[in-house]
Amino acid sequence: MPNDQDRRRFLYQSLTGVGGVALMNLLNQAQAAPGPLAPKPPHHAPKAKSVIFLSMLGGVSQVDTFDPKPALSKFDNTVMDWSKEKNTDQPNLFAKPRLILKSPFEFKQYGKCGMPVSDLFPHLATCVDDMAFVRSIQAENGNHPAAVFLMNTGAVIPGRPSVGSWVTFGLGSENQNLPAFVVLPDFRSIPFSGSQQWGSGFLPASYQGTVLRWKGEPIRDLNPPESVSADAQREEMDLLRTYNQEWLKTHFSNPDLQGRIDAYELAYRMQAEVPGVLSLTKESQATKDSYGMNEPETESFGKRCLMARQLVERGVRFVQIYTPSQSWDSHTELIKGHRKNAKETDKPIAGLLKDLKQRGLLDSTLVVWMGEFGRTPDNPADLRDKAGRDHNTRAMTIFFAGGGTKPGTVTGATDDLGFKAVQDIYRMRDIHATVLHLMGLNDMRLTYYSAGRNMRLTDTGGAVIKQVLA
Amino acid sequence: MPRLIAFLWATCLIAAPNDAVFKDRIQPLLTEHCNACHSQAKASGGLTIASLDQLLTGGKHGRALTPGNASQSLLIQYIKGEKNPRMPLGGELPADALAKLTAAINEMAPLAETTKSADPHMDWLLHKPQPPSIPAAQNKAWIRNPIDAFILSKLESKSLTPAPPADRRSLIRRVYFDLIGLPPSPEEVQEFATNTAPDAYEKLIDKLLADSRYGERWARHWLDLARFAESDGFAIDGERPTAWRYRDYVIRAFNKDKPYDQFIKEQLAGDELERGAGADRLTALGFLRMGTWEADANFKTQLRQDVLNEITTTIPQVFLGLTVGCARCHDHKYDPIPQRDFYRFQSFFAATRVEDRPAPFTEVENPALMKRLMRQYEDESETASEGLKKIEERLKQKYITAKNLKPDDKNAADFLKALKDQKDPIYTADERKEHERVKTNARKFSDAFPRYRPVAYAVSDVVPPQVPSVAETYVLAGGELANKGEKVEPGFLSCITGKSEPATIPFAGGSSGRRTALASWIASPDNPVTARVMMNRLWQHHFGDGIIRTPSDFGKNGDRPSNPQLLDYLATQFMEKKWSLKAMHKMMLLSNTYQQSTENPDAKRFTEVDPDNRLMWRMNWQRLEAETLRDSILAVAGRLEKSPGGPGVFLDIPSDVAEGFEFFKWFPSDEKDQRRRTIYTFQRRSVMNQMVEVFDGANMSETCARRSTTTVAPQAFTLLNSEFTNNEAKHFAQRVIELAGPAREKQIDKAFWLAVDRAPSAIEAQRAATLFEKSPPDQALTRLGVVLFNLNEFLYLD
Repeated sequence: MPNDQDRRRFLYQSLTGVGGVALMNLLNQAQAAPGPLAPKPPHHAPKAKSVIFLSMLGGVSQVDTFDPKPALSKFDNTVMDWSKEKNTDQPNLFAKPRLILKSPFEFKQYGKCGMPVSDLFPHLATCVDDMAFVRSIQAENGNHPAAVFLMNTGAVIPGRPSVGSWVTFGLGSENQNLPAFVVLPDFRSIPFSGSQQWGSGFLPASYQGTVLRWKGEPIRDLNPPESVSADAQREEMDLLRTYNQEWLKTHFSNPDLQGRIDAYELAYRMQAEVPGVLSLTKESQATKDSYGMNEPETESFGKRCLMARQLVERGVRFVQIYTPSQSWDSHTELIKGHRKNAKETDKPIAGLLKDLKQRGLLDSTLVVWMGEFGRTPDNPADLRDKAGRDHNTRAMTIFFAGGGTKPGTVTGATDDLGFKAVQDIYRMRDIHATVLHLMGLNDMRLTYYSAGRNMRLTDTGGAVIKQVLA
Repeated sequence: MPRLIAFLWATCLIAAPNDAVFKDRIQPLLTEHCNACHSQAKASGGLTIASLDQLLTGGKHGRALTPGNASQSLLIQYIKGEKNPRMPLGGELPADALAKLTAAINEMAPLAETTKSADPHMDWLLHKPQPPSIPAAQNKAWIRNPIDAFILSKLESKSLTPAPPADRRSLIRRVYFDLIGLPPSPEEVQEFATNTAPDAYEKLIDKLLADSRYGERWARHWLDLARFAESDGFAIDGERPTAWRYRDYVIRAFNKDKPYDQFIKEQLAGDELERGAGADRLTALGFLRMGTWEADANFKTQLRQDVLNEITTTIPQVFLGLTVGCARCHDHKYDPIPQRDFYRFQSFFAATRVEDRPAPFTEVENPALMKRLMRQYEDESETASEGLKKIEERLKQKYITAKNLKPDDKNAADFLKALKDQKDPIYTADERKEHERVKTNARKFSDAFPRYRPVAYAVSDVVPPQVPSVAETYVLAGGELANKGEKVEPGFLSCITGKSEPATIPFAGGSSGRRTALASWIASPDNPVTARVMMNRLWQHHFGDGIIRTPSDFGKNGDRPSNPQLLDYLATQFMEKKWSLKAMHKMMLLSNTYQQSTENPDAKRFTEVDPDNRLMWRMNWQRLEAETLRDSILAVAGRLEKSPGGPGVFLDIPSDVAEGFEFFKWFPSDEKDQRRRTIYTFQRRSVMNQMVEVFDGANMSETCARRSTTTVAPQAFTLLNSEFTNNEAKHFAQRVIELAGPAREKQIDKAFWLAVDRAPSAIEAQRAATLFEKSPPDQALTRLGVVLFNLNEFLYLD
């Protein structure tokens, strides 16, 4: 150990003065990176190495996408009285008369597995043989902010670590030149509470998500202000290193000092590497088109999907892509709202799945597609002209792809009208347990001491959804 | 040892009849109804019913049977269907069998109390500290005050020796940052370095404790604990316009050295303390309201329960160092805190509701100025909204004309939609811009004036005759509002009082008096934990680590004290000195323990004995906290502005962030105001200051007793590249030139003195000079400034 440190010191000292940051860079690549993001062994053999988490904010209607309910046609436009129904998650939901609405979208069966998909997703429909659907997810809270927290952190309150933080805390990262947990929000409207949705909570800040912007400067303050040239910055970094090394000689009792010198080197490498991921210049036009980057509606989501592929290719552990806040929240004008959101995401996600598969990355990349809850097959009767759907905590369809999941399968079922899950019911924390499991982590063992106990992502629950495992 | 034997004996005595009850009355029933799944062979859910021990160990959900308490027994809860799935699976236990089972369990002798007091740590913790005798140590010359005796005797017992004293420069910097959170000026360092008067150090401490910047520094520690923020959190994250008064109250409390017991009482029950309580005491109640608040929650009963849960979780952590919150859904898994006690504690707040209470500004808050500003902004808001009305009327007319509508057509209101739709040809880009500008301006003033209202962000109690009776509190099975169990009355923690009787509630005029009862119990010299918890916090901030390193969890699952006698000494001294924090700061800082160097020549050997330096054979390193770092940069650039307190300062944020908010607007304050200390910046939960965020600031949503100190790359980006750093470096360069004149060596010398209170070494000066080769002095010094702000030496105190 001291030898290693001496060697590092020697390297720094011998390089000081030649301004050899680039050479330093090369030498550093070769060294095992220390620090909180160094790769850590999993609990068991992992199926997936990375996660791409596609977050459909607002809540997608399952009966209009992946869970067809022909029986709805029979009751279309019928007013129902559900006031005797008990729903503790959303006590007010059924208090007033409700109006059933059949799906205005057409379903067809696709693929070898014969999975029904509505005409909202013509591109995703061609990928069903690579997807594992779960139609029986229940959320525990019907309010957007709380439910989004639940989706991300397993708790309905702010301040807990997000699933991306837990995964990087458990496994570190394969790439020390890029952030381990990258978040790609839609800047038209970022999720509620912003960075708290990808915060590390009580875990050390090293595990918080880093937002990369797809336009403008990718990371806040990644580059010096315009008044500082690249040369001037290099001069600053070299001088800083000299001074810090000098001081280290008389202050050896603090291990953080070396860590901080290393962090500046990492920052320097990120400056070089991050813009490469973002420019996507090495991608062919055909690839970009396959993600929909050539059309204005799909450009944003498409580019972020392509960035996600590049990031996982480079060993980034967890990438989360968001639609705009509440974008799927079609209380009214379901057709318009869902068409718009489906249009923006369908081709990009299909492009991503196909590209991952073609490059042999789908096996090691777990793709998760979900919202914070599903939608009801009905709406309050007084919104008769509005043709929308309500929040539904009791039924939601999600899908996985790749990363050791069983392709072309459907798990769970809802009742005849799609109100609630009735078979193989799972909750958010079961999704979290499944993600951890596929990444080689055991949700019971992945713990961190805080506020009096060893905390877990799955808190007091969590069961792996066995049916989706390949 | 005798105690242990007695205890084991006691368990045996109790255990025997329980076994008999189990064998005769419980096991037959269980075998009949449950053996299919919970036999040794099958053990569904990890639970087997073959013996009492196995039921006590329980399955994956924990202990299945709680002797003496049927309703708390999981077994019964599942059988009754209070927990899902109902047992036996697919069936139901006959009512008479259930009754027999319940009776048998209730008749068993409880285990809980006996096992719980067996832990020597809890035994120590839950008994009132007694003044310990001062231990003897060999190296008497090193002992400056009793703190040193406690430390040295432990060190000597492990053959360790303290580090040599820190040099004068390190010492004065340490004390400055510790007490006021800012670096000393070069002159102050030089003066102290050469001042050989024996009381120079003591005088320095006295001076800094009397400095008003002390309150600004130490209030921040308390605000972390109080999860202080000026917005609600959640989706809307609405502003709390007068929450800043709580921040100023805390600053004043520290500066006045308000006795800690009084400080506690004001924050929990200020309004009940005396009739016609002063405005400060209402402001102090802000503590109870600082949790997050889901303003658009559509289930208000749940919202109330969420708030009560938050308070019941936070208060014991902050004041008692106990994680009572763990007992919300079930008995505490580690500490002797039954679930019942969570709800008994919660019941102290059963009558409490949130309320913005009228509270005239006190003299120190400058009431005349507040009044003037409120009026001014109110007027400006009115003018602006009239202006907005006018322009909107004009735009509406245009819409009516373009669409050929009748003047009173309902659809005329759609002009706002047309205004939003950039493609709509009715309006020009200039019209849209003008409308947006006027609208934003109106918003700015309407946001501003409520901040100056004489209102306290507080709570009050709803009691008869306003309501027929105070709301009842129930034990909630699994923490679920729908699962009301036993009704409980307000009561103190039974693990401390040894009783589970209701607390005596004093008369409190129009209030319930419940909060006073709780506050008096917490702030009592008889409470075993209150003083220890606060002294441990003080120690942690001065020495870098607590005597107990889990400062808000002194329980079984927390850390063990490195020196319990020392903590007891500090706690008893604290109470003897009438809960004066300043007296205790002084005692800690005067000790030789505090004045040690961070480097011990025998470090290598000592590390093997005590790797974490828990015994204090050297001083711990401390990294500047985010706020201190930002304040220090402003200070060395000569740009830090004094603040009179008042509404928070809005810092510049990047425009793309500022434009992304759906429910609020962000109007940066004047440039000069933005240079106030960071504690005065507006604390919006969804908009953290970049510097504070990357340097491990408190997350504001939950109480934070200890900040982490991470080292991550984004810190480098912020500190090297941000507009803030580069701008302040520019001013730093100007200041250097003004103070040092044109000579380059003098400039470099001055730059080092200002930034790190010392002259540069020859190598350092020589390297700095290379910056001047390609750039003019002001630019070279700006770059040097950026480098100095990024030094390890700037961020870490040795």
